[in-house]
Amino acid sequence: MIDFSSPRHRSKFGYLLLAPAVLLMALIIIYPILLSVDISMKDVRIARIGKAEPWTLKNYAWLFGSEEFWNAIWVTAKMVLMVGGTALVIGLATAILVNQRFKGRSLARLFVALPWAVPEVVATVIWAWMLDSSFGVINWALLKSGIISEGIQFASNATASFYSVCFVMIWKGYPLVSIMLLAGLQSIPQEQYQAAEVDGAGVWQRFFYITIPNLMPVIGVTMVITTLWVFRDFAIIHVLTQGGPIGATTTLSILTFEQSFSFFRMGQGAAVGVVTMIICAVISRALVSRFANSVH
Amino acid sequence: MRNHSLLGKIGIYAAVAATCGLLLFPIYWMFITALKPANRLRDFPPEFWPENPQWNVFADVLNSQPFGLWMWNTVLVAIATMILSLTVGTLAAYALSRFRLRGGQGLGLFILTSKMLPATLLIIPLFVVFRSLGLTGSLWSVIIAQSTLIVPFATWMLKGYFDTIPPELEQAALVDGASPLGAIVRIVLPVAAPGMAATALYAFVISWSDFLYARTFLTTSESKWTLNMGIATLKGEFVTDWNVIMAASLMAAVPIVGVYLFLERYLVGGLSAGSEK
Amino acid sequence: MKRFTKTLAVTALSLSTALTAMPAAAETLTFVSWMKGEPGYGDWWNEVIAKFEAEHEGVNVEMTKVARAEYADTMFTMFAGGNPPDIVHLAAFEYQPFADEGWMEPLDAYIARDGKDLAGWAGQGTCEWEGQTACIMLLYTAYVMAYNEKLLAEAGITEPPSDWASYLAAAQAATKDTDGDGTIDQYGVGVASTGGANMMHDILHYVLDAGGAWTVDGKPAFDSPGVIEGLERFKTLYAEGLTPRDLGAGDMRQLMKEGRLAIRLDGPWIWNIVQGAEPEILADLKLAPSPFDPPVGGTSNVIGMPSDISDERKELVWDFIQTATSQEMQQRFATLGSSPAPMPGLDYAAEAASNPYFTLFAESNERAAAAGVDRLPKGLEIEFNEVTKLLFREAQRMLIEDLSAEEAAKNIQDAVLKIAG
Repeated sequence: MIDFSSPRHRSKFGYLLLAPAVLLMALIIIYPILLSVDISMKDVRIARIGKAEPWTLKNYAWLFGSEEFWNAIWVTAKMVLMVGGTALVIGLATAILVNQRFKGRSLARLFVALPWAVPEVVATVIWAWMLDSSFGVINWALLKSGIISEGIQFASNATASFYSVCFVMIWKGYPLVSIMLLAGLQSIPQEQYQAAEVDGAGVWQRFFYITIPNLMPVIGVTMVITTLWVFRDFAIIHVLTQGGPIGATTTLSILTFEQSFSFFRMGQGAAVGVVTMIICAVISRALVSRFANSVH
Repeated sequence: MRNHSLLGKIGIYAAVAATCGLLLFPIYWMFITALKPANRLRDFPPEFWPENPQWNVFADVLNSQPFGLWMWNTVLVAIATMILSLTVGTLAAYALSRFRLRGGQGLGLFILTSKMLPATLLIIPLFVVFRSLGLTGSLWSVIIAQSTLIVPFATWMLKGYFDTIPPELEQAALVDGASPLGAIVRIVLPVAAPGMAATALYAFVISWSDFLYARTFLTTSESKWTLNMGIATLKGEFVTDWNVIMAASLMAAVPIVGVYLFLERYLVGGLSAGSEK
Repeated sequence: MKRFTKTLAVTALSLSTALTAMPAAAETLTFVSWMKGEPGYGDWWNEVIAKFEAEHEGVNVEMTKVARAEYADTMFTMFAGGNPPDIVHLAAFEYQPFADEGWMEPLDAYIARDGKDLAGWAGQGTCEWEGQTACIMLLYTAYVMAYNEKLLAEAGITEPPSDWASYLAAAQAATKDTDGDGTIDQYGVGVASTGGANMMHDILHYVLDAGGAWTVDGKPAFDSPGVIEGLERFKTLYAEGLTPRDLGAGDMRQLMKEGRLAIRLDGPWIWNIVQGAEPEILADLKLAPSPFDPPVGGTSNVIGMPSDISDERKELVWDFIQTATSQEMQQRFATLGSSPAPMPGLDYAAEAASNPYFTLFAESNERAAAAGVDRLPKGLEIEFNEVTKLLFREAQRMLIEDLSAEEAAKNIQDAVLKIAG
């Protein structure tokens, strides 16, 4: 047996500790990625694992020449901006709100993050029912309050579908954003605020010169997590709109699924998936290094 | 934080009430819908409190479906996922925090990668992996797949914690004759307990939410289903009883919300330690 | 801390026991179906399984439900991952990609060996793929019209509609705001519009009635006059708000049960489903022949076996198929499913006596079969899901952008030609 406490073997011990994580990753992440890349380079409807097929770029040619792909990119981009931006703004507002001192604060903190704990299947079931065009409570409330004069057709009105999907995503996703930002707020040293106050800085000045810069790394991580979540999310859109109407909510993730599992075109589906992965990698690298650099 | 003026206080309470109201309304609506008789569901205007609440809907769900079994499976998956991801994550986080490892930086990229993959892309390769391991139809398939996706987050959060613990503490233990693993268990873990609690909550919530993996790996054995699969199949081809679906959903959500209520206090603390790099 | 470690160890141990506990090693055939638990057909499957298990000691059939909406892709994952269910149950419009991939074992050898007679078996032709028998048809059926007599009478309609004009008139008369709050809460007809095969079948009524078809001689004919006319009618019902919007077939059936829908065209299963309605509503729910000619009809679902399992298992699965298609179980199928079974020559006297509409179902089947109707567009079997999606998309575009039916038909035809090419 190797004596791990001796300095010579110290780093071996380190690698040993890492081994389970690496093993899991290789099995569950790396191998599937390689397999998907392999499938995306084959001209097949249905891929046979382990069956040799000549490699081709046909699926990628289809991809870049297809309207659906560019539409999906556009929809995904809009959705990321919409959900990510809104979640950040109201997440920050909520975090600041529940960071104030008031009675019942811990209860309020508990409630504002509750939707995060609701399982996604349950969340989509509730919202699908509430957004029902004919009998949903949302349409009723909008009609009653006089905002609209005729019920919104959530599934057949492109704009309404897009915003209802965004809305549900924000409801489910933003609580985690506000918890993370709240954690960030609490790690800002109080002395900085006190010093600024002594120097006569107002509320807004303190917000822009102390809160925001200190929060930058957390905001970066939060944005990456939210962005990747919108890119990856499947259940919410699939249940609410199936990507419709006329492709208005077909994101890259939905397109991947549709090609592979509805149309049985696995080669094309894998190509969409691989491109999605590359886009996500580029975005996360950019976001993380940008926000991390802004403080260090 | 200073104390607020009366006006400020009212403002705060109003804002808090509005936020909570908007966020919690869907949960209230789920509850109300569950209690309505099936033929009153599509009333327009809707009832905000059913005049004739059907409390037996919960018993009906339990009697007509093996709901208890599915609940038990979900609990098993959640606990096992929590233990596995916490163990693997702790070891990895400790290694990254204490050792200068070649390739350690690369792991950072790894961590992000797992969050990047469209899950729909992973399904078929993973199905093949688990089939060759003989794990399709076993809860282990979902546990392993979910854990792998949670490990990165666990590692990231716990590493932040470990970085704040001075290495001298463990060195002292080592000098006293503890094994390296013993030093981690006895010295480092107790200090990192809040971070572990936060990670455990995260793991619970994520694995409780799983649907895609359970559906892919466990389809053929109904005795191994999780709650989410049960709910998804309640939406029948021929009829859809929203009240039954809502009752089932409510029961599926209650345990995880309970865990959340219990562990939430650690989440903010755990996250803020994790974010101090 | 010590106690914590101990608790952890005990938990881990009990967990691993709980997780690895395996059922006793009896032979189990896996069987996935969307029909489990549904009124009528679900009961029939239970009887088939009970009979099979009684005849095969030590063999269990484990039936699992997968929702219809996720059915094709779940089956696809299982086949592609090399772990298909032993008993393969698929819709008649979706088995073709599976057969095409070689995933379905041809049944010809078994049929020949056991001398199974499939002559006159309704819809069996659809099970022929590339010259081989990929499956056995479980249901060939035609659509009928369910209507709420009271709602129609209140709207001044005394006779059930018998053609497009009277159907439209009835729909217009029965669509109303019963409580005067300004929103429509009772609809004349229920036409599914959430996509999927159900929506395509619901539009097909109007297409067939107008003399059209999705394909002609295996070639897409979505821009033919019949399809244009069919789309036009669909658009009329929608634009005039005579059907609830954005609802699937399941919701329409529920509305029928609740007495808020006057007319719904559906398969014979509608009869079993409405039996769950409140007695005072059920008394008004009647069935009549489809007002459209020919009625929508066709093959519904099939049973087969995967090519990827051992020969011994194949024998068991074949036995199961034999049980399901035996004369005894076919007769039970007619009774429980309240519609004629595909096996020819059964005596339906008892069913006709106990079910007032059995004769109606049988006659509708004959009408559809005589007209050579099938819900499935011939020549587009492999691309069916894609075609369904396209049709859905273009139908939505027609409604949203207020395109003419001609433009919509042309868009569909162009898109179909692109993928079918």
